[in-house]
Amino acid sequence: MSEAVEAAMKPLSEMSHYEVLEIAPEAAAEEVERAYQLALATYGEDSLATYSVYDDGEVELVRERIELAYQVLADADRRGAYDREVGSLAPVTAAVEIALQLAGEEEEETRLAPDAVVPEIEAFEDVEEEAGRFDGGRLRRARLRRGIGIERIAKVTKVNSRYLRCIEEERFDELPAAVYVRGFVTAYARCIGLDPTRVTSGYMERVAAARPEARPGRLRQRRRR
Amino acid sequence: MTDPIHPRAKRSPRLVAIGGGKGGVGKTFLSSNLATTLAAAGYRVVVVDTDIEGANLHTWLGVRSPSVSLADFVAGREDDPAKLAVETPVSGLRLIAATHGNLAGAQPDDARRLELLKALRRLPCDFVLVDCGAGAHPATIDYFLVGDDGLLVLHPEPTSVENTYAFVRAAFYRRMQAAMQKHDVRQRILEAMDQRNQRGIRTPLDLLREVQAMDPEEGTRFVATMRAFRPRIVVNEVASAEDIKLGFSVRSVCRKFFGIEAEYVGYINRDQAVRDAVLLRRPLLDVRPHSDAAVYLRRIAGKLTEKVGRPGGRG
Repeated sequence: MSEAVEAAMKPLSEMSHYEVLEIAPEAAAEEVERAYQLALATYGEDSLATYSVYDDGEVELVRERIELAYQVLADADRRGAYDREVGSLAPVTAAVEIALQLAGEEEEETRLAPDAVVPEIEAFEDVEEEAGRFDGGRLRRARLRRGIGIERIAKVTKVNSRYLRCIEEERFDELPAAVYVRGFVTAYARCIGLDPTRVTSGYMERVAAARPEARPGRLRQRRRR
Repeated sequence: MTDPIHPRAKRSPRLVAIGGGKGGVGKTFLSSNLATTLAAAGYRVVVVDTDIEGANLHTWLGVRSPSVSLADFVAGREDDPAKLAVETPVSGLRLIAATHGNLAGAQPDDARRLELLKALRRLPCDFVLVDCGAGAHPATIDYFLVGDDGLLVLHPEPTSVENTYAFVRAAFYRRMQAAMQKHDVRQRILEAMDQRNQRGIRTPLDLLREVQAMDPEEGTRFVATMRAFRPRIVVNEVASAEDIKLGFSVRSVCRKFFGIEAEYVGYINRDQAVRDAVLLRRPLLDVRPHSDAAVYLRRIAGKLTEKVGRPGGRG
């Protein structure tokens, strides 16, 4: 953290490209991209965060500096040359190059691109992500910080938005048989970029506890009738 | 020479100040509910309402009419701040209310305020939470600065963000004035506080350059104090991912424009559960413990306890 504090005490003109984008010299390509997206949002026109402190000319200067930093750091060759020039100990590794290539690949069809800042916001979730089981509220919170609306999930997954809301609000009585719910929750999880297996195991336990008739055994009995 | 704002005593409670400039952004909501969250986790907590002109922290905690309050200390009816704390319905949580104020002379004078702030550090508990009230009046700023943690609460809206920066600026300059020892340097800081000052000092970074040029020793002290000045951002009533991101953006502007390293410690969503709790005059944790807002509150409380250790290990 002391690096960040030191950086904070420099005027923009004296900051390194890394300091401008507020990332560490060893940051991977996707971190560069994420930091750039956040900087664009922060110093963009009509930004809520800047309008009352910077005047137009000043914020334009910041934007130019951000563009320059991004152009250099997002290009493996230029970043390598820059690192050598400033004596940074962060060579662009093969891993960074691979990450750069991957960044160009298309998203899986059923998965929405999560918001650029999500991984940083995930830091707020440490305790929950590691230990907790998924319930409706946790799914809703994960969706909120990814900036994805229910309607978008409905469109991508073809699951009725009413059911998606019931899943978040845990209105189990209004949901169909467990086998369908499992399918809906799997699609929901995949859509917002969560591991469906982790999500469904916790969620389906809650469904079963609240709705004994939804247990697989009971379902089979009903089918036999 | 000891710093008058942070006199550290052995086994003193951790002081958390909750401020942020604009009224209505949720400072009292956060104060009362963080206090109940910490108390529920087993910490001994005292929460202090400093808003004598508009006291209502007691209502958030379901304390109908506190028998004593900060106003008794201001008026000289009670000289020991420890005796101002009253029990609340929440186990482990006591309240220093701000009711019954004399509107003719509501706030304590500087000397009395310093006495109060020192006394808060001696309270036998793990956490003291100070609800600073609205505005950037020197008294409000002093309550904010006394904290080991200073939480800045803001709403995702232009007026709140603007007031947050104004508050950060005012708090920073006042902190520096207290830390500097030479008269001429203090005078320069006073000049810089006027945003239209003749010397063109606009930001703490500009001021740092001035101070370094005037007196290298004071410059070193300035840098050390600047490093320790770390407001912690909370965005309240978020309704979208954009709103959540605002905390990171404000942190970035603090760094790039002001040269101040802020920390984004969490956000709370716009939640009907909060309104339900207010109407019932009970803590959110009691009324809707599983609401999203309660989850977010527990996360922020978790950040505050990182530096304190487990309950019962202090005091």
